[in-house]
Amino acid sequence: NPEISSTHPTFNFKEYMKSKAKKVNKALDDAIPLQNPIKIHEAMRYSLLAGGKRVRPILCLAACELVGGDEAAAIPVACAIEMIHTMSLIHDDLPCMDNDDLRRGKPTNHKAFDEATAILAGDSLLSLSFELVAAETKNVSARRIIRAIAEMGSAVGSEGLVAGQIVDLCSEGKELSLDGLEYIHVHKTSKLLEAAVVCGAIMGGGDDIEIERLRKYARFIGLLFQVVDDILDVTKSSEELGKTAGKDLVTDKATYPKLMGLEKAKEFAGELVGKAMEELSCFDALRAAPLYHLADYIAYRQT
Amino acid sequence: VSVSPPSFDLKTYWTALIKEIDHKLDEAIPVQYPQQIYEAMRYSVLAKGAKRAPPVMCVAACELFGGDRLAAFPTACALEMVHAASLIHDDLPCMDDDPSRRGLPSNHTKFGVDMAILAGDALFPLGFRHIVSHTSTDHVPETRLLQVVAEIARTVGSTGMAAGQFIDLEGGPNAVDFVQEKKFGELGQCSAACGGILAGASDDEIQRLRNYGRSVGVLYQVVDDILGENTGTEKKVDKDKKKGKSYVSVYGVEKAMEVAEDLRSQAKKELDRLEKYGDKVLPLYSFVDYAADRGFNLGDQLS
Repeated sequence: NPEISSTHPTFNFKEYMKSKAKKVNKALDDAIPLQNPIKIHEAMRYSLLAGGKRVRPILCLAACELVGGDEAAAIPVACAIEMIHTMSLIHDDLPCMDNDDLRRGKPTNHKAFDEATAILAGDSLLSLSFELVAAETKNVSARRIIRAIAEMGSAVGSEGLVAGQIVDLCSEGKELSLDGLEYIHVHKTSKLLEAAVVCGAIMGGGDDIEIERLRKYARFIGLLFQVVDDILDVTKSSEELGKTAGKDLVTDKATYPKLMGLEKAKEFAGELVGKAMEELSCFDALRAAPLYHLADYIAYRQT
Repeated sequence: VSVSPPSFDLKTYWTALIKEIDHKLDEAIPVQYPQQIYEAMRYSVLAKGAKRAPPVMCVAACELFGGDRLAAFPTACALEMVHAASLIHDDLPCMDDDPSRRGLPSNHTKFGVDMAILAGDALFPLGFRHIVSHTSTDHVPETRLLQVVAEIARTVGSTGMAAGQFIDLEGGPNAVDFVQEKKFGELGQCSAACGGILAGASDDEIQRLRNYGRSVGVLYQVVDDILGENTGTEKKVDKDKKKGKSYVSVYGVEKAMEVAEDLRSQAKKELDRLEKYGDKVLPLYSFVDYAADRGFNLGDQLS
């Protein structure tokens, strides 16, 4: 993307992602020591440390640093967001939900362990995420931490992830409008991305104006994330994706390519990335480089 | 011999608190879109005849140190929300496979397994969010709220109640002791400790409350087991017995009664160290006797 490289030629996105992911992985590893009962902790670690791209925690750290915060202030909440994300995947994959056997190229949690363990591992990751933020966030005022917890709470529960999953489950086999589809994605995907970015900005000491700009940025890339996911589902193979491709077609699920056509969906993705970047324009370009590149990455990723 | 003076009427105190807590819980979960999830959440949280023991213990502990009960209500509600969430998940077919609870269909029997899992997933974060968004910071400093969130999160997590449920399913040597401690002791411990934390009790006092709450939590369950054995009417007890999961089935009635007496005196011993608070200790004191003797009926669902 010529526009990006001309604004900040010195920024090495690949290196940035690598070094941030390394820090996040270390912190996640440290957050769940293998203790009694061993198996439940193994199940938590199995899915959490399965090598995701860590897009959410990195967004969180980037937002924290963009508003002038120290990365360390946002590490616990960055890990918490990844735990919540992982928990929602574990529960969504269960037989009574989406019934998936494969996730990130490996057997899903309930396949590797069993259903009861998968449910408990998910529940435990969820509570651990709140514990981590409340107990391990250092050098941030209690008021800010409280504010971040409220953000997390609304992103994950019946006003966030769970609402999205419910509407998704309830609309299987029904005709879904574009609005209905957007509702599902906003709740299943965007809200948590939004919480990642907003919590990062809160921990970093951002002011209300900065936080709200970043919230808008996050909403665009959240939707973008899902549009691209839908496009990849029809254009890539299972092997390339590490999960069952073409599943949306088989289950006749509403997707952006299905509702707007593949070309229009791609155009829509382009619009969203543009709008997201616009929200960053009032920040210092060099400092905002990671978030520019993350939007770009989400738009043009291949898996 | 310690005898709680007749001057304190626990039944009146408790019944009044149940009414207040039920009202707060009703307000805390308004039905909105998507309705199904809120109905499923409300079904379990607002089940008729719930004794609200964890919230009552939390409020009583808070009032012991001169805290305002208004300051304790959001946390008391959160305890009930996370408690309901773990019961919903414990009842699932892949766990304890209980089709009914308190004489009514279990959550999954009524709403389906998928909805029950999601109702639990929504209630955990709602609890944390409720604490941070509903506790007046004029009453309670923010740092204490963070302590309470961390306390509850740890309690329901992989080393607390989830660990108890996991071992309950897995079995093994001494499983029954571990399970009782984790599934019932931890919640009592947490409920009492949270009340103390909110009211600004000292570390030493909070530790006393922990020990007290843990003893009362286990005592309550052991006595339930003994009563179920004597009346022989509860289906649940037959089931527990088959699986070797109740104190009584493992150790016999006599030994169980000894254990109950020990727990009663341990709980009171902890309160004796808080004697400087005078009559304010009476609610917690009489709670112990209630757990042991079940001297009166609360509502209509008491066994």
